[in-house]
Amino acid sequence: MWHITKREIYDNLNSLRFALTTVLLLALMLTNAIVHLREHPNRVEKYNKAVTAYQNRLASYANESLYLLAQQGPGDLHKKPSPLHFCAEGGDSFLSGTVNAGDPFGYSEDMTGVWKLSYPSVTPNLENVRPDAIKLDWGFIIGYVLSLVALLFTFDIISGERERGTLRLMLANAIPRHTVLIGKFLGALISVSIPFMLSVLMNLLVISTASNLHLNAEAWGRLGIIFFISILYMSLFLVLGLLVSTRVRQSAVSLVVLLLVWVTLVVFMPNTLASMTGEFSPSMLSGEFWKRYRQLHQELDEKYEDRVWTDESDTKTLTARSEYFAKHAALDERLNEDRLSLQIDQFRHARSIIRVSPVTIVQHLLESFAGTGFERHLQFVENTQRYALQFREFIVDADRADPESLHLIGVREGMSEKPVSPKSVPKFEDTLNLNEDFNTTAMELLLLVLFVMVLMSAAYLAFVRVEV
Amino acid sequence: MMLTLIRRELLDNLMTFRFAVAVFIMLFLVVANTAVLIKDYERRLAGHKTEVQKSRKYMLDGKTYSVGELNIDRPPNPLSIFNAGLDKRLGNEIWVYYGHVPTLWDAEKHSSQNPFMNILSSIDIVFIFEGVLSLLALIFAYDTLAGEYERGTLRLVLTHPVSRGYILVAKYISAMVCLLVPLLMSLILAMFLLTTSASFSLSMPDFLRIGGIIFASIAYLSVFYLIGMLISAMTRRTSTALMLSMFVWGFLVLVYPNMIVAVIQPSNPPEERRASVHNHIKQIWEEFERERKQFLATDRHLEGDPYGNMRWRGGYNFEHFQDKASVLQHYYYAGAEIDGFHEEPESQALHVQNYHRFLVPLIIDTAERTWRIREPVLEELFILPATIDRAWLRLSPTGIYDVATQALAGTDLQGMQDFFTAVQQHRQSVIDYYYDKNAFGSRQWFSADKETVDWRTLPQFIFQRSDISLNVQRALPDLFLLLTLNIVLFIGVFLIFVRREV
Repeated sequence: MWHITKREIYDNLNSLRFALTTVLLLALMLTNAIVHLREHPNRVEKYNKAVTAYQNRLASYANESLYLLAQQGPGDLHKKPSPLHFCAEGGDSFLSGTVNAGDPFGYSEDMTGVWKLSYPSVTPNLENVRPDAIKLDWGFIIGYVLSLVALLFTFDIISGERERGTLRLMLANAIPRHTVLIGKFLGALISVSIPFMLSVLMNLLVISTASNLHLNAEAWGRLGIIFFISILYMSLFLVLGLLVSTRVRQSAVSLVVLLLVWVTLVVFMPNTLASMTGEFSPSMLSGEFWKRYRQLHQELDEKYEDRVWTDESDTKTLTARSEYFAKHAALDERLNEDRLSLQIDQFRHARSIIRVSPVTIVQHLLESFAGTGFERHLQFVENTQRYALQFREFIVDADRADPESLHLIGVREGMSEKPVSPKSVPKFEDTLNLNEDFNTTAMELLLLVLFVMVLMSAAYLAFVRVEV
Repeated sequence: MMLTLIRRELLDNLMTFRFAVAVFIMLFLVVANTAVLIKDYERRLAGHKTEVQKSRKYMLDGKTYSVGELNIDRPPNPLSIFNAGLDKRLGNEIWVYYGHVPTLWDAEKHSSQNPFMNILSSIDIVFIFEGVLSLLALIFAYDTLAGEYERGTLRLVLTHPVSRGYILVAKYISAMVCLLVPLLMSLILAMFLLTTSASFSLSMPDFLRIGGIIFASIAYLSVFYLIGMLISAMTRRTSTALMLSMFVWGFLVLVYPNMIVAVIQPSNPPEERRASVHNHIKQIWEEFERERKQFLATDRHLEGDPYGNMRWRGGYNFEHFQDKASVLQHYYYAGAEIDGFHEEPESQALHVQNYHRFLVPLIIDTAERTWRIREPVLEELFILPATIDRAWLRLSPTGIYDVATQALAGTDLQGMQDFFTAVQQHRQSVIDYYYDKNAFGSRQWFSADKETVDWRTLPQFIFQRSDISLNVQRALPDLFLLLTLNIVLFIGVFLIFVRREV
């Protein structure tokens, strides 16, 4: 078997396609690295600035009084940019980088509520008049270019030998057919992996030598997983090529079939299905949302109207106000969350439909492990929600520590007005969790493995039955 | 002789497996996607219609001039099915306010649909052609010359008294005929689907535009066929030719258009420029604010707040500065709708009328002044990089084809700007109408107690998509580029083939 593999590799190393593949992949990976080096420092700088602004804001309120902190909240919470952004862009430009935890409603000095979580959305496309383009990340290079290359390496792997008549010769030896098949597969796998590995190494070399970007151990681990996934994805197309190549007598026909399958599977299926999903999952009407919003707010306002809007400031009014503010913020927060979860459900649904295309699977996998894209955004949102709870608890605890306070959160007269140490205030820090990534992507990973297995057994069956 | 050659080639091509696959795949992709695209267009059109009605209702609800909500909704372009361009992407709701010159960058999206869905990519018919037509052309071309050479039939053909040029032309014509079959069949089916859909009302110029798109598609197809022929003429073996063709295809169609947009970076640092101009615009409005305050201070009846001294019964007033730094938007926005007064404030009302007679022309004037600063900078910040990108895209035939069909469909940047120019003209006519009616100095500007505004006499906004000749004129350079490319490639193929030893 090793003999077959070795022969296959030698054959490929001398061929034109090997040289072209190396050049193409190297050019793409270097471009990717250069673009990343140019853009990533800006992202990091922007994030650092935003975090500093957030901390300063928090500290200034904390130095002022606990009451202000309880009213204004922690402010904008920012998503940490992933150091592996070059692996998968994941539509990050369409995902908001912040969750807002602040912005209390305010009619007057006395009637200012407390902060709440809200989820802003971004529409970068409204300003952008540049031509559409797919982002040049690993997801694109692996998903589109590498799969095409894999087909170009395997379309004649069996049919070419048959055309030249060497297949008969090889099978005349005492080698079982499956050994031939596996040997050929391994040969192709290694010959495509060489230029791919070379370009990946160049890419990582360029990126890791830049002084201002450093990849930590976890990032390298993630890169390892991403590399493994790409090899798996590549083998999917190698096996597909093997299958078609065994079934079809002429290599030219085999390539035509493969290319058309590839175009449909990789280029059109994700796009067409994406346009179709709009049909399947009608979005929630924003009119309905606002109707519900107004109705619930009206109910709340009516309930508290006579107790809250008075000039008196006795304990009863203050208690009512504190309650009203808390409920008002909770209602806003719940409505925001409901809307967000509806949007998430709709998008999840759409994504699960597109998942029939292997390129979408691999892109989802890459973005999960690169820490970008949609799943990562959900993790970030979850982090902010967890932090919001923590922050609220801190306010209550800090208020409880003050014996002069009436413990009515959100009302000036009812709360501790002493400053708190900025150090004791919990700070938000966005984190990435690899375990969670594994959980969300397990299904997609399995699907990919399944595809490979099915095609592999089909290729085996086809090859065993083939007449030479 | 020529006819014999063509007939032979044609029969050769028609009987092949690849021809069957080409027809099938084109029909399948185009029909499936057209059906989806029609649904999508219908949805956008329905959204546009409800929005138009809604904004009409809002306009009629406004009782005073100053709170008139004049929203204009951009209708979807039916030809966006062929090339969506910027039609789906840019904002489609624009607000006409006398104190701000509306541009493409002030528009909003009317349907606040799920923002996550923007991540998913969309598709149009030209996109299918870009990918599949070019691939099919190369698949048809790779063995035209190399294959004959390999089989040895080339030598046989050349023993006849036929010039090599004839052979090339015959091969070219017959293959193009074969490739046109799936192209035209799929387009005819797509047109059939379009005409059966009730919401599509395509006019004569639209059909001409579609004709132009078909012409561009044929030119594009031919470019790739000639590229394939060139490769085939240069190589001795079909497998090498095929391999090279596929790499060329991958580079020109898949890699280059995406790579170039990622690589190009706007040359000047736009952030600083943006910030400085935004500050400049802000300063102009601050100057305006000083003048306004000064006017209020000189009139002792107003005492700093025009509405403060009127004891009104119901209604509202507002004033603030709208600001969006990323698109250099900054303007003063104010209005009032007062339902009635507690006591007759006749003299007071006259003073307020006087104030508006002074203020509104000042707002319009300031808006014009800021517009003169804003316009060139918007051009520099947004349009210039986009133009540079498109110029670089033209290095690939796919880029040329995309730009040409966008211009023909009217979904390119210029087509979009036509709409916003029309909106700007509409704003001007609204201002003229206000001047005619002496609206600024009237009581109806801020108060609805005696008479409310009759909005029905307001000039209507009418938008006609640009004339077909203009579309063609915009597409012409790129069409010429495609044709020139064809000729150059053909000459190249000819020269190589003529010198070739068989």
